[in-house]
Amino acid sequence: MSLGLQDLRTNSLLPGTSACPGCPENMAMRMVGMALGKNVAMIVVAGCSSVIQGIGPKNAYGYPVLNIAFAAGPAAASGMWRAYKQRNKDVTVVVWAGDGGTADIGFASLSGAAERNEDFIYLCVDNEAYMNSGGQRSGSTPHGAITTTTPEGKRGNKKELLFLMLDHNVPFVATASVGYPQDLIDKLKRAKDVNGFRYIQILTPDPYGWLFDPSKTAEVAKLAVQTCYWPLIEVVEGKVKVSNESLHCLKKETRRPLKDFLSVQGRYRRISEKDYEELEKYVDSLWDRIKSMS
Amino acid sequence: MMKIMSGNEAVALAVKFSRVGVVGIYPITPQTTIIEELAEMRARGEIDTDIVRVESEHSAMGVTLGAAVAGTRAFTATSSQGLLYMHEMIWWTAGSRAPVVMVVATRAVGAPWNIWNENTDFMSERDSGWIMSFASSPQEALDLTLQAFRISEDPRVFVPMMVGMDGFILSHTKTNVYVPSQEDVDQFIPPRRQPYVIDPETQESMGNIFQPVHYMKLRQSINDAIQGSIDVIKEVGREYEKVNPLSDYKTLNVQYKLEDADYAIVTMGAWSLDAMEAIDKLREKGVKVGLYRIRYIRPWAEQEIRRSLEDKRAILVFDRATSLGRAGPLYLEMKATLQSPMKGVIAGLGGVSMSKKDFYEVISNFIEEVKFGNPNKVEWYYPGEVKYVELGTPRSAY
Ligand code: SF4
Repeated sequence: MSLGLQDLRTNSLLPGTSACPGCPENMAMRMVGMALGKNVAMIVVAGCSSVIQGIGPKNAYGYPVLNIAFAAGPAAASGMWRAYKQRNKDVTVVVWAGDGGTADIGFASLSGAAERNEDFIYLCVDNEAYMNSGGQRSGSTPHGAITTTTPEGKRGNKKELLFLMLDHNVPFVATASVGYPQDLIDKLKRAKDVNGFRYIQILTPDPYGWLFDPSKTAEVAKLAVQTCYWPLIEVVEGKVKVSNESLHCLKKETRRPLKDFLSVQGRYRRISEKDYEELEKYVDSLWDRIKSMS
Repeated sequence: MMKIMSGNEAVALAVKFSRVGVVGIYPITPQTTIIEELAEMRARGEIDTDIVRVESEHSAMGVTLGAAVAGTRAFTATSSQGLLYMHEMIWWTAGSRAPVVMVVATRAVGAPWNIWNENTDFMSERDSGWIMSFASSPQEALDLTLQAFRISEDPRVFVPMMVGMDGFILSHTKTNVYVPSQEDVDQFIPPRRQPYVIDPETQESMGNIFQPVHYMKLRQSINDAIQGSIDVIKEVGREYEKVNPLSDYKTLNVQYKLEDADYAIVTMGAWSLDAMEAIDKLREKGVKVGLYRIRYIRPWAEQEIRRSLEDKRAILVFDRATSLGRAGPLYLEMKATLQSPMKGVIAGLGGVSMSKKDFYEVISNFIEEVKFGNPNKVEWYYPGEVKYVELGTPRSAY
């Protein structure tokens, strides 16, 4: 543990998980433990994290976990925090879901809980495909990416969950990347003190779906931010704050070329010039929108 | 105290009396007035139940499960398409052994659209791992809902329970209902108990991957808990007399003029009362016929049913539900329980009304058939003029 995180001990992840080597979700889970401390109850929606915790009745997460079917996480969290409130217990309820559970099958219940401003933290660990079932495309898969169900590369852009959640006018929305742990930890800590619905989308590059060496997870997660493909921002009560690591993205001239991020991944190995331009346009429009909000 | 009320009002009152902590609500006809009534009670300050107005039935059961595993008493209600939409979460709740209570105001399932009564929605949850009772009056809807909290939260059970009632026929029709006092209900329903609570202190986790043999053991434990709940249900039923002195819940199912009967009619739900009137008329003519009313689908009271029906000459089972391509589900259950000559009648689907005259006609015909041979068959009964249904294109079948 370099990065000045030594003082942040965590029990959120116990030894012996069933994650693949280099798993970004394991990294994110450890950071959640560092940020949120002990008084946490977690709802894990179907996905890699249902498997990573290992085989019951034991569990490799240091939190109590309600594992639940794909589309029910936000609804169960709504019931849970209300039950704790009735029992006068101070527990932070956290929903942990992948991009499939968030952008696709679970979106109605996510949107419903956001509209009701339910009091819990929703974490979307975004690895941009259905990795647990073998890497099929999801609504969150970006343009041009090869997946097991889009062998020719996905047509159409990533579903913009960030903006969709902002449009719900919830008190706290943020993006983070496992490449920048301190930024994620700070955001989680701030989210903890906010009342109402809190949404954080964490980029979790998956070595097995994105096709890069498992030792490079943090590096790829950083490149996504440096090339401005993935913004690090936080929106509290409608006020946008761009993290230091992403400030250079506000101007097109200072952005690192997108190909530095794409070239390290196998899923973009056959990318055409046209797809590349499409992705650049996507990044431009992403930042145009962020700039228009600030 | 007696009060005139509908089945839905009676259920809402039972939820109030049970001091439920969280209710997940989503409207669907004909269940709607249960949740409206609860919302009004909350607005008037009569209950401090937390009412969560969710965006779908799937979420209604999700909220209910979440609240239950985090330690409060939880309730929801639904019907028809809504029940089917929450089907996944109904199973998830059962597999979590989470005691929760749900009321189903039954209704036909589309397509085509049909809002009227039928029990197929309810019956199609038979395999999900819930205790399932079915009311025949608003009174019973109230009584069974109160008992459901006691039964599902009994440490010998710890299985969710649903109470069915015929949509519109019970949900919206007002009759006299004995209303117990809050004090009596408080005596009857103890503070919430459940197998485990998800809490940072206890570090309990639920629902992660199980090895095949442990998964199978869990399924068996649910099976055994439901079968074993028969004694608990009777015990709770006897104790319920302190809450409602007019009640009789000593047995799971209910008999009418059955002791000396040669022929037994089997029914479930509201139309049992019409069947009873038809039986009265047949009795006047000297026909020895009686009624056996199924009040519990799960657990299935096999011994009780055998004891009551095994000496009957022939049995006629009425189903207001189908298992398409086979027969009525009640008929199939009875066939698996008894050797007796038996006939199944499917009637009253999608709100087709069955009068006591229709019951009289079907029962008399059945008794004639028995006299002239073995009545072993399944019939779809239409009152009035419909006699044939053509097999053909979907349109011509109507
Ligand atoms: S597939 Fe990816 S997200 Fe899933 S466990 Fe493996 S590395 Fe982690």
